[in-house]
Amino acid sequence: MAQTNPPFMSGIPELLLLRLLGEQEMYGYELVRAVRRVTGEAISLGEGVIYPALHALERQGALKSRRKAVGGRTRVYYSLTARGRQRLARLAGEWRRVQSGVETALAGDAGAAS
Amino acid sequence: MLLAAGTAPSVVDRTIAELEDHYRDLLDAESAAGGTLAAAERRAESLLGDLGTIASAVQQRPELKSWAWHWPRVAAVVYPLACIAVLPAAPVFAGVVHAPAVGRWLGGVVAAALVTAGMLFGLELSIMPG
Repeated sequence: MAQTNPPFMSGIPELLLLRLLGEQEMYGYELVRAVRRVTGEAISLGEGVIYPALHALERQGALKSRRKAVGGRTRVYYSLTARGRQRLARLAGEWRRVQSGVETALAGDAGAAS
Repeated sequence: MLLAAGTAPSVVDRTIAELEDHYRDLLDAESAAGGTLAAAERRAESLLGDLGTIASAVQQRPELKSWAWHWPRVAAVVYPLACIAVLPAAPVFAGVVHAPAVGRWLGGVVAAALVTAGMLFGLELSIMPG
Protein backbone atom coordinates (compact mmCIF):
# COMPACT_ATOMS: atom_id res chain seq x y z
CA MET A 1 0.00 0.00 0.00
CA ALA A 2 1.29 3.46 -0.86
CA GLN A 3 2.41 5.49 2.14
CA THR A 4 0.35 8.56 2.79
CA ASN A 5 2.07 11.87 2.86
CA PRO A 6 1.94 13.41 6.33
CA PRO A 7 1.12 17.11 6.67
CA PHE A 8 4.54 17.73 5.33
CA MET A 9 4.79 21.43 4.80
CA SER A 10 3.90 21.99 8.43
CA GLY A 11 6.50 19.38 9.38
CA ILE A 12 9.46 21.17 7.82
CA PRO A 13 10.09 23.57 10.72
CA GLU A 14 9.84 20.63 13.10
CA LEU A 15 12.33 18.62 11.05
CA LEU A 16 14.77 21.53 11.00
CA LEU A 17 14.44 22.17 14.71
CA LEU A 18 15.03 18.53 15.57
CA ARG A 19 17.99 18.35 13.19
CA LEU A 20 19.68 21.42 14.65
CA LEU A 21 18.99 20.48 18.25
CA GLY A 22 20.45 17.06 17.53
CA GLU A 23 23.82 18.74 17.17
CA GLN A 24 23.80 21.00 20.20
CA GLU A 25 21.45 22.61 22.67
CA MET A 26 20.21 26.04 21.66
CA TYR A 27 17.74 28.71 22.71
CA GLY A 28 15.03 30.17 20.49
CA TYR A 29 16.82 33.17 19.01
CA GLU A 30 19.90 31.05 18.33
CA LEU A 31 17.75 28.40 16.62
CA VAL A 32 16.09 30.88 14.26
CA ARG A 33 19.52 32.16 13.21
CA ALA A 34 20.77 28.61 12.78
CA VAL A 35 17.80 27.67 10.55
CA ARG A 36 18.55 30.64 8.32
CA ARG A 37 22.23 29.76 8.19
CA VAL A 38 21.93 26.06 7.43
CA THR A 39 19.22 26.54 4.82
CA GLY A 40 21.13 29.34 3.10
CA GLU A 41 18.31 31.75 4.02
CA ALA A 42 15.96 29.65 1.86
CA ILE A 43 13.76 28.99 4.87
CA SER A 44 13.06 31.73 7.33
CA LEU A 45 10.74 30.84 10.17
CA GLY A 46 8.43 33.44 11.66
CA GLU A 47 10.60 34.09 14.66
CA GLY A 48 7.84 34.20 17.26
CA VAL A 49 6.07 31.07 16.06
CA ILE A 50 9.11 28.96 16.83
CA TYR A 51 8.11 28.88 20.52
CA PRO A 52 4.76 27.08 20.15
CA ALA A 53 6.59 24.51 18.02
CA LEU A 54 9.33 24.06 20.64
CA HIS A 55 6.86 23.85 23.51
CA ALA A 56 4.73 21.30 21.67
CA LEU A 57 7.79 19.16 20.87
CA GLU A 58 8.80 19.31 24.51
CA ARG A 59 5.34 18.22 25.66
CA GLN A 60 5.51 15.33 23.21
CA GLY A 61 8.80 14.28 24.79
CA ALA A 62 10.94 14.99 21.73
CA LEU A 63 12.78 17.86 23.43
CA LYS A 64 13.84 18.75 26.93
CA SER A 65 14.65 22.19 28.22
CA ARG A 66 16.69 23.78 30.95
CA ARG A 67 17.03 27.34 32.15
CA LYS A 68 20.46 28.88 32.08
CA ALA A 69 21.54 32.35 33.23
CA VAL A 70 23.60 34.03 30.53
CA GLY A 71 24.70 37.68 30.72
CA GLY A 72 22.01 38.61 33.22
CA ARG A 73 19.27 36.89 31.26
CA THR A 74 17.65 33.55 31.90
CA ARG A 75 17.53 31.66 28.66
CA VAL A 76 15.66 28.43 27.96
CA TYR A 77 17.95 25.97 26.18
CA TYR A 78 16.41 23.07 24.28
CA SER A 79 18.01 19.74 23.45
CA LEU A 80 16.93 16.52 21.80
CA THR A 81 15.75 13.46 23.76
CA ALA A 82 15.97 9.83 22.68
CA ARG A 83 12.37 10.04 21.49
CA GLY A 84 13.30 13.18 19.58
CA ARG A 85 16.09 11.34 17.80
CA GLN A 86 13.67 8.62 16.73
CA ARG A 87 11.26 11.24 15.48
CA LEU A 88 14.05 13.03 13.60
CA ALA A 89 15.02 9.77 11.89
CA ARG A 90 11.39 9.12 10.91
CA LEU A 91 10.78 12.66 9.64
CA ALA A 92 14.07 12.68 7.73
CA GLY A 93 13.09 9.39 6.08
CA GLU A 94 9.71 10.80 5.09
CA TRP A 95 11.34 13.93 3.75
CA ARG A 96 13.77 11.92 1.61
CA ARG A 97 10.90 9.79 0.30
CA VAL A 98 8.86 12.86 -0.67
CA GLN A 99 11.91 14.60 -2.12
CA SER A 100 12.74 11.54 -4.19
CA GLY A 101 9.17 11.38 -5.46
CA VAL A 102 9.19 15.04 -6.44
CA GLU A 103 12.58 14.66 -8.14
CA THR A 104 11.28 11.69 -10.11
CA ALA A 105 8.19 13.62 -11.13
CA LEU A 106 10.24 16.63 -12.19
CA ALA A 107 12.65 14.47 -14.17
CA GLY A 108 9.70 12.82 -15.92
CA ASP A 109 8.22 16.24 -16.62
CA ALA A 110 11.54 17.41 -18.06
CA GLY A 111 11.70 14.31 -20.24
CA ALA A 112 8.18 14.90 -21.47
CA ALA A 113 8.90 18.55 -22.22
CA SER A 114 12.00 17.76 -24.32
CA MET B 1 -7.01 35.48 24.91
CA LEU B 2 -4.84 32.34 25.10
CA LEU B 3 -6.00 31.51 28.61
CA ALA B 4 -9.61 31.92 27.55
CA ALA B 5 -8.93 29.56 24.65
CA GLY B 6 -7.77 26.87 27.07
CA THR B 7 -3.99 27.24 26.79
CA ALA B 8 -2.15 26.14 29.93
CA PRO B 9 -1.16 29.15 32.09
CA SER B 10 2.41 27.85 32.39
CA VAL B 11 2.69 27.77 28.58
CA VAL B 12 1.37 31.34 28.31
CA ASP B 13 3.82 32.64 30.93
CA ARG B 14 6.75 30.86 29.34
CA THR B 15 5.85 31.96 25.81
CA ILE B 16 5.62 35.59 26.93
CA ALA B 17 8.97 35.36 28.76
CA GLU B 18 10.72 33.77 25.78
CA LEU B 19 9.20 36.25 23.31
CA GLU B 20 10.36 39.15 25.49
CA ASP B 21 13.84 37.66 25.61
CA HIS B 22 13.81 37.09 21.85
CA TYR B 23 12.69 40.68 21.25
CA ARG B 24 15.56 42.00 23.38
CA ASP B 25 18.02 39.87 21.38
CA LEU B 26 16.57 41.21 18.12
CA LEU B 27 16.71 44.77 19.41
CA ASP B 28 20.34 44.36 20.48
CA ALA B 29 21.25 42.95 17.07
CA GLU B 30 19.39 45.67 15.17
CA SER B 31 20.82 48.42 17.36
CA ALA B 32 24.32 47.03 16.82
CA ALA B 33 23.71 47.11 13.06
CA GLY B 34 23.24 50.89 13.26
CA GLY B 35 20.32 53.23 12.76
CA THR B 36 17.97 54.84 15.21
CA LEU B 37 16.40 53.11 18.18
CA ALA B 38 12.95 53.60 16.69
CA ALA B 39 14.03 51.91 13.45
CA ALA B 40 15.61 49.07 15.43
CA GLU B 41 12.38 48.60 17.39
CA ARG B 42 10.28 48.54 14.21
CA ARG B 43 12.59 45.99 12.60
CA ALA B 44 12.68 43.83 15.74
CA GLU B 45 8.87 43.84 15.97
CA SER B 46 8.61 42.96 12.30
CA LEU B 47 11.05 40.05 12.64
CA LEU B 48 9.36 38.72 15.75
CA GLY B 49 6.07 38.62 13.88
CA ASP B 50 2.46 39.52 14.47
CA LEU B 51 1.32 38.63 18.00
CA GLY B 52 -2.03 37.44 16.67
CA THR B 53 -0.25 34.96 14.40
CA ILE B 54 1.88 33.71 17.30
CA ALA B 55 -1.19 33.36 19.51
CA SER B 56 -2.94 31.47 16.74
CA ALA B 57 0.05 29.11 16.44
CA VAL B 58 -0.18 28.43 20.18
CA GLN B 59 -3.91 27.80 20.00
CA GLN B 60 -3.50 25.29 17.19
CA ARG B 61 -1.40 23.00 19.39
CA PRO B 62 -3.58 20.71 21.50
CA GLU B 63 -0.48 19.67 23.49
CA LEU B 64 -0.30 23.18 24.91
CA LYS B 65 -3.83 23.22 26.28
CA SER B 66 -4.52 23.02 30.01
CA TRP B 67 -5.69 19.81 31.63
CA ALA B 68 -9.06 21.48 32.23
CA TRP B 69 -9.42 21.92 28.46
CA HIS B 70 -8.61 18.24 27.90
CA TRP B 71 -10.90 16.98 30.68
CA PRO B 72 -13.60 19.62 31.19
CA ARG B 73 -15.92 17.29 33.13
CA VAL B 74 -13.19 16.44 35.63
CA ALA B 75 -12.39 20.15 35.95
CA ALA B 76 -16.08 20.91 36.58
CA VAL B 77 -15.92 18.62 39.63
CA VAL B 78 -12.38 19.29 40.85
CA TYR B 79 -12.39 23.12 40.70
CA PRO B 80 -15.44 23.64 42.96
CA LEU B 81 -14.18 21.01 45.42
CA ALA B 82 -10.74 22.63 45.48
CA CYS B 83 -12.32 26.04 46.11
CA ILE B 84 -14.37 24.65 49.02
CA ALA B 85 -11.28 22.96 50.46
CA VAL B 86 -9.18 26.11 50.18
CA LEU B 87 -11.85 28.46 51.57
CA PRO B 88 -11.11 27.86 55.31
CA ALA B 89 -7.40 28.37 54.67
CA ALA B 90 -7.95 31.59 52.70
CA PRO B 91 -7.54 33.93 55.73
CA VAL B 92 -4.25 32.19 56.60
CA PHE B 93 -2.97 32.58 53.03
CA ALA B 94 -4.08 36.22 53.06
CA GLY B 95 -2.23 36.75 56.33
CA VAL B 96 0.96 35.26 54.90
CA VAL B 97 0.69 37.29 51.69
CA HIS B 98 -0.03 40.52 53.57
CA ALA B 99 2.29 39.78 56.52
CA PRO B 100 3.67 43.36 56.84
CA ALA B 101 0.15 44.84 56.99
CA VAL B 102 -0.96 42.20 59.49
CA GLY B 103 2.17 42.96 61.56
CA ARG B 104 1.36 46.69 61.59
CA TRP B 105 -2.23 45.95 62.58
CA LEU B 106 -1.11 43.68 65.42
CA GLY B 107 1.36 46.33 66.59
CA GLY B 108 -1.43 48.89 66.62
CA VAL B 109 -3.73 46.61 68.60
CA VAL B 110 -1.03 45.87 71.19
CA ALA B 111 -0.16 49.58 71.51
CA ALA B 112 -3.84 50.48 71.95
CA ALA B 113 -4.24 47.75 74.59
CA LEU B 114 -1.20 49.02 76.50
CA VAL B 115 -2.45 52.62 76.42
CA THR B 116 -5.89 51.52 77.59
CA ALA B 117 -4.38 49.39 80.36
CA GLY B 118 -2.22 52.33 81.43
CA MET B 119 -5.23 54.65 81.55
CA LEU B 120 -7.27 52.13 83.55
CA PHE B 121 -4.36 51.63 85.93
CA GLY B 122 -4.08 55.40 86.39
CA LEU B 123 -7.79 55.63 86.98
CA GLU B 124 -7.61 52.83 89.47
CA LEU B 125 -4.80 54.59 91.37
CA SER B 126 -6.69 57.89 91.42
CA ILE B 127 -9.85 56.43 92.92
CA MET B 128 -8.15 54.15 95.41
CA PRO B 129 -8.92 55.28 98.94
CA GLY B 130 -6.09 56.71 101.07
